[in-house]
Amino acid sequence: MADGKERQNLTEQNPETFKKPDGMAFREHEENISTKEDISGQLGEADTWKDQLMTLIRQNKLAAFSAVVIGLIILAAIFAPVVAPYDYLAQSLTDRLQDPGAAHWLGTDELGRDVLSRIIYGARISLTIGLVPTLISMAIGTVLGLCAGFYGGKTDFIIMRLADVMLAFPSLLLAMVVMYTMGGGLINIFIALSLVNWAGTARIVRSQTLSLKEKEFVEAARSIGVKKWTIMFRHILPNCLPSLIVLFTLNIPSAILSEASLSFLGIGAQPPSASWGLMVVRGKKYLFSEPWLSIAPSVAIMIVVLAFNFLGDGLRDVLDPYLKEQ
Amino acid sequence: MLNKVLKRIVISIPVLFGVMLAIFIMLRLVPGNPVTTMLGEHVNPAVIEKISREMGLDQPLYIQFFKYVANVLRGDFGTSYRLNRNVTGIIMESFPNTVKLSLLAAVVAWLIGIVAGIVAAIRQNRILDRLFMGGALIGVSMPVFMTALVLQYLFAFKLKWFPVSGFDSMQAMVLPAIVLGWNSAGSIARMTRSNLVEIMQNDFIRTARAKGLREHGVIIGHALKNAMLPVITMMALQLSSMLSGAVLTESVFGVPGIGRLAVNAIETRDMPLLQGTVIFTTILVILGNLVADLLYNVMDPRIREGA
Amino acid sequence: MKKKVSLILAASMVFGLALTGCGGSSSENVGSAAQGESTPAAGGSTEAAASGGGEALGVDTAGFMIDVLNADIQTADVHKTSKDYTVPTNIYDRLVEIQVDEAGASKIVPSLAESWEISGDGLEYTFHLRQGVKFQNGNDFTAEDVSYTFERLLTVEGGVNTELLDQVKGAAAMIDGSADTLEGVEVVDDYTVKVTLKEPFAAFLSCLTAPGLSIYDSEATEAAGDQFGMDPAVTVGTGPFKFAEWTFNDHLTLVRNEDYWNGAAGLPGVVIKIIPDTETQTMMFESGELDVIDLDFVTDAADRFLATYPDQIVSGPRVGITYFTMNFNIEPFQDVKVRKAVQMAIDRQAILDALYGGRGQVEHGIYPYGLIGFNDAQTKISYDPEGAKALLAEAGYGDGFTMELAADASASDTVTMALEIIKEQLAAVGIHAEIKNYDESTWLETRKAGELGSFMSTWTADFNDPENFIYTFFGNEEKTRIRSINYPDTAVMARVSGARGIVNEDERLAEYQALEEKLIHEDAAWVPMYSRMHLWAVSKRIQDFKPVWSGVSDRNYYGVSLTE
Repeated sequence: MADGKERQNLTEQNPETFKKPDGMAFREHEENISTKEDISGQLGEADTWKDQLMTLIRQNKLAAFSAVVIGLIILAAIFAPVVAPYDYLAQSLTDRLQDPGAAHWLGTDELGRDVLSRIIYGARISLTIGLVPTLISMAIGTVLGLCAGFYGGKTDFIIMRLADVMLAFPSLLLAMVVMYTMGGGLINIFIALSLVNWAGTARIVRSQTLSLKEKEFVEAARSIGVKKWTIMFRHILPNCLPSLIVLFTLNIPSAILSEASLSFLGIGAQPPSASWGLMVVRGKKYLFSEPWLSIAPSVAIMIVVLAFNFLGDGLRDVLDPYLKEQ
Repeated sequence: MLNKVLKRIVISIPVLFGVMLAIFIMLRLVPGNPVTTMLGEHVNPAVIEKISREMGLDQPLYIQFFKYVANVLRGDFGTSYRLNRNVTGIIMESFPNTVKLSLLAAVVAWLIGIVAGIVAAIRQNRILDRLFMGGALIGVSMPVFMTALVLQYLFAFKLKWFPVSGFDSMQAMVLPAIVLGWNSAGSIARMTRSNLVEIMQNDFIRTARAKGLREHGVIIGHALKNAMLPVITMMALQLSSMLSGAVLTESVFGVPGIGRLAVNAIETRDMPLLQGTVIFTTILVILGNLVADLLYNVMDPRIREGA
Repeated sequence: MKKKVSLILAASMVFGLALTGCGGSSSENVGSAAQGESTPAAGGSTEAAASGGGEALGVDTAGFMIDVLNADIQTADVHKTSKDYTVPTNIYDRLVEIQVDEAGASKIVPSLAESWEISGDGLEYTFHLRQGVKFQNGNDFTAEDVSYTFERLLTVEGGVNTELLDQVKGAAAMIDGSADTLEGVEVVDDYTVKVTLKEPFAAFLSCLTAPGLSIYDSEATEAAGDQFGMDPAVTVGTGPFKFAEWTFNDHLTLVRNEDYWNGAAGLPGVVIKIIPDTETQTMMFESGELDVIDLDFVTDAADRFLATYPDQIVSGPRVGITYFTMNFNIEPFQDVKVRKAVQMAIDRQAILDALYGGRGQVEHGIYPYGLIGFNDAQTKISYDPEGAKALLAEAGYGDGFTMELAADASASDTVTMALEIIKEQLAAVGIHAEIKNYDESTWLETRKAGELGSFMSTWTADFNDPENFIYTFFGNEEKTRIRSINYPDTAVMARVSGARGIVNEDERLAEYQALEEKLIHEDAAWVPMYSRMHLWAVSKRIQDFKPVWSGVSDRNYYGVSLTE
């Protein structure tokens, strides 16, 4: 198995790469530790975050632009009722399959519903599908990774073998099995994608925990009798945050795409909900005569996925040395 | 060395067992009697009961599981509900096509990924970097089935360079391989780029540069080979996502591979077939990772056990 | 440094080769590597695997027609499938066949049975079999084969379609294992077989045309065991084509039976490709990679093809009725006024137009267009949302009510879309309908328990008789319960059941039509939706491609020819 150990070994060959996180500042970190003087020497200046953001914007305009695009899409999703020109569920059988035009910028679908409005409302569902399972799976992965790295021994062995099992499955196949068992629908998609994706996070958090727990500030906290859980969540976790943020940014698009794949296989979102994936799959039937029905939501997916990827890459360049091999 | 190989293999065994257990339990949670769905409308209730009994569905779960594991170890994945034949046989029939597809796709992914990664690293944070990375990433940004349809439409239907579907000639294999390969190229490009960027900051590169070597020569000659090692691990890790992508690619192009079997199994609610396909595919991934791991050890003497 | 690069490259090649080795060499290799023990892949499917290399097994497919299916068949053994009838239709024969004339009227014509007599009480059928017919393996076809086939249908492991014979005397005893021979089938001599029913069943002859009652060779089938229907080499019938080759998920090949008793087919053979993606199918047809495409599955292409290839469209009625149910056990569907209101609230023509380009017709009863007993003169249900509102108000539901639309996850997109439209149309009269998604298994089990909310589905004919429709839904308490209709009037259901035994055809049809009027127009027991046309596009080189009678999308290649 190419497990975390290997990669950890790799990075440990190259001690320079570990410098960055130690040098980073985490304000919450400082505030929460009574003996901060003892360990604040480990932490950098308070405005590093801002600095890094500025670096990101300066160095990588594409990432900055992506962040703006994502922000706009999130706003559109939140204010869908205001932004969308029509009710996304309003059918009009006499206006079905209209070409894009003044009345309907992206035309209408097979039931005469406005495609643009459906894409705007669909952003709600697709972004939720991107966010919720990613949050859940990463929360699970983080807790398990922390425990594995911190406690070591049997706990580590069991958790990492579990992670090995999950990582061995091709993710789509595993999601298919879960959906097969539970049936289609939004909630089940959340469960399926959460189950599938926690193991990657667990590995990364574990390997960082392993190296962090040897650091002086952890040793210091330990020596003054700070509780294990406090160390894990107050001291170690904040130092994993940069990696987690990058990972989060990169996991969202893959969740959105997974949903599209599941919809293609007929076990994803269920109508009348309008996830982008489902719109592509349904529109695909009209690919030759009304191509915009599938192309429009595909492009929406593509934009969001690319934006998250560019942003994630940009963040990684600035924030996080650990994830370079992911 | 031999020790290490054995250790790796031994550590794979609980994983294998876990994989089987996980799939087995999940599929047993499916509501309802599988035989009802399997036989559909035209069926006598007495027949349902008879078949349930014959399939051992009335036995306790743990007995069913151990029987299943014992059978899998003997290479027997059971009998498909729907196809009325041995799952192992069906898998073996489809398996070579998926391997062909994945290997070709790996070549494509590697080509696109490495080239894009190198260009992006050399032109770090400049327009070519964004263009090449974007190009490599588009493959993962569209739903695979749409990429497949669009390429099929352009290159098979409009330009007629390739047949629309099939997998019986080299020509027919090109499009599916590109679709699947492109889908993995993004991660490889990303990794190549970040490795190169990191390595280019290393001392020995600076030294080489200082010695007056031309920059491109430096990068291709020195940096690349140092960046290759993780890329190989990456390829092994990509095996898993490639097999995921194959599910969709095979469906669009009509390739008779393992991915299609999984889709068949979902569509016809064929539990033994789904179980067999997923477990078999997962075993492949485990093996692939094992091989990559060992290769890695062979190639890079710096890596030692422990830490 | 140089050395290292070449080492890495070499190693990566080894890795590649290792993978190829896994795939390329042999299945046993992989099995043993993966499972730590080297046992040859078990099961009889090794032959199939051997023939599955993608290369044709010496079959020269030049001049063959190229057809396509969305999904591969499960088996060519009709005792074990109730839907994959394309291969069976062409490789086997039935005792009798159904023939449709230009006007759409159908009649039962001799096939393996040359003639038959029915006793006055409708209980005994004596078939005189065609002599000199040979199975594709050279065996003679005799009465013994008929008797064997019927007994196998009832007893084979994993058998479906047993209901086709459940009116034959002794069928139940065969199914439950208490008898070894089928009491109702008697081999009189080599070419005469007598079938006795347990009670009069006027539709029996129609029933014998069902693909499920294809006749097998007793000797070959018995010898083939569970490989019958799976291994083309041992799957033989008397039909116009031989089952030549099957590469799973890729293609099936049929070749002409040169010695067919009714004269060899016009086509030298047929290759049936398996292509799940309908857009791929469309492109293949337009690129000339396919000769036939079933437009049922290519929603988009149907309209476009009708315009682009008007001379290449073949169509026929899909003998099946799409219906929408209302469960009598669920509030407020006990009230006939509510049921009538729902009948009037759904604009069926609009749905047919929107989803199927209007290709088909709105139905008003139980028996669809194309079926014997279809009654064009019955009372019509009109779309009348105002009338529906008035009826609801009368029933005390002026403010509407909430109901469930039960969607089966495995149903096609168009069915789901129809439910979405129905939901909106019901909303227009104040009924709040909620779409609830079920997975296939739960949907089926809830339905069979009689507890499912309203759903829409299509029943297609197994054979040409109203019995196949009305008895299925309203035959008795159990029948109506497992469809989640729970029609309560036992007296009416007794009539439905009794009508099966009326020997005089005119009388029987009159009774069936009276029952249809009572059930649908008096009691509003369901909403008849529509029946659809079945369309194919065929390439220019195909001549005389005709739709098969019956609702399923099977093809009959006998009679088709190909010009270059």
